[in-house]
Amino acid sequence: MATKLKKIVLDPLSENNPVTIQILGVCSALAVTVKLQTALVMAISLTTVTAFSNLAISLLRNTIPSKIRMIVEMVVVSVLVILADQLLRAFLYDVSRQLSVFVGLIITNCIVMGRLEAFALSNPPWPSFLDGLGNGLGYSSVLIVVAAVRELLGTGALLGFRVLPESYPTNGLLLLAPGAFMVLGLLIWTQRTLAGIRKDD
Amino acid sequence: MHNDRYVIGYAATLCVVASLLLAVASAALRGRQERMVELDRQFNVLKAFGAPVADAAGRRSVPNDEVARLYRERVREMFLDGATGEPRTNAAPSAAELERKTVLPLYLWLEDGAPAKYAFPTSGKGLWSTIYGYLALDRTLSEVVGITFYRHGETPGLGGEVERSWFQQQFAGQRIHGPNGLLRLEVAKGRVADRYPNGNPQAVDGISGATMTGNGLNGFLNEDLERYERYFSRIRKG
Repeated sequence: MATKLKKIVLDPLSENNPVTIQILGVCSALAVTVKLQTALVMAISLTTVTAFSNLAISLLRNTIPSKIRMIVEMVVVSVLVILADQLLRAFLYDVSRQLSVFVGLIITNCIVMGRLEAFALSNPPWPSFLDGLGNGLGYSSVLIVVAAVRELLGTGALLGFRVLPESYPTNGLLLLAPGAFMVLGLLIWTQRTLAGIRKDD
Repeated sequence: MHNDRYVIGYAATLCVVASLLLAVASAALRGRQERMVELDRQFNVLKAFGAPVADAAGRRSVPNDEVARLYRERVREMFLDGATGEPRTNAAPSAAELERKTVLPLYLWLEDGAPAKYAFPTSGKGLWSTIYGYLALDRTLSEVVGITFYRHGETPGLGGEVERSWFQQQFAGQRIHGPNGLLRLEVAKGRVADRYPNGNPQAVDGISGATMTGNGLNGFLNEDLERYERYFSRIRKG
């Protein structure tokens, strides 16, 4: 049982990564990765929402009428996302302004809904919570890598602290949307190759 | 299979529980959220005045308490009537009046009890969004001391550069008033050095790829300067 639970958490980090393997949640992965700080806050928000919505739906799974299954899921996710957004506004005002609509848009993130449908509806609470956590962390790891590359090469700093010498010619392209596409594309390629996944699998 | 009554009851219960949760959270956090918004406003006014609250990149470098203390000690607020430029004495204006600019807020930076700098909020359309900022002027109301844009929805990396310090710092020292009256501030298309080989003390370098955002600034910065001029001209005369 322990190994199975471990697999639930670790699988989405690499072999079944929601972003690089399933290509879900790409929109926000491109939008909030200009700086590491916003990416970290987004990562924490999404991981929390995914884990707790999985937990909530799993607890309710035997009572939810199948006719309004998805509406119930949306309500649970929305409540959690609004709570996360309100907390950010109260405690991390600057970051919440930079993330602008993207915290709110976690509601429509395919990863959240996907895990509820694929896992939480048919599994007990504890594994569901871990599944949400694992998928959240899988998304987070991609976000953090992309954001670190973009901030480091785009501005020469990490988390706002200068890392590369002043003489480093910053690469503005990486801060723009095409830079995000390139970094994410390269990451997907690298990660799939390392995980041994081919197109015809 | 659940019957219809169960489904409706379930949906209703869920809605009530969800609303209750959100209402409680909203009520519990509102005070703190409003304080953060207010602190952010104070920080941006202080930043426009050039007070030591931000680092070279324009980010807040001092704790919240320091921002609140500086603002309390050095900044005074007053309101002008938008039509006449007369100072208003009655109660605080409504959000709608501020939005329509029928009431104009003015901030004074005090040195030894006398106003040494003046700042006012400025806002208007860029390319995609309304840009909000503060413009601060010196004691004689003829030079810009500082400018800050703190909220906008322009394209990051293009029009969004208005929030960067390299762009904002160019405004310091720009002339807005000369012997013949008000001068027009200008965000040039391209570099000032290319466009005005002999120099131009009212123009700043534009942002490449963001001409429309620059045009927006040219419009609303000068419109707002004209709005306040009715009051400023009186101060200049003494």
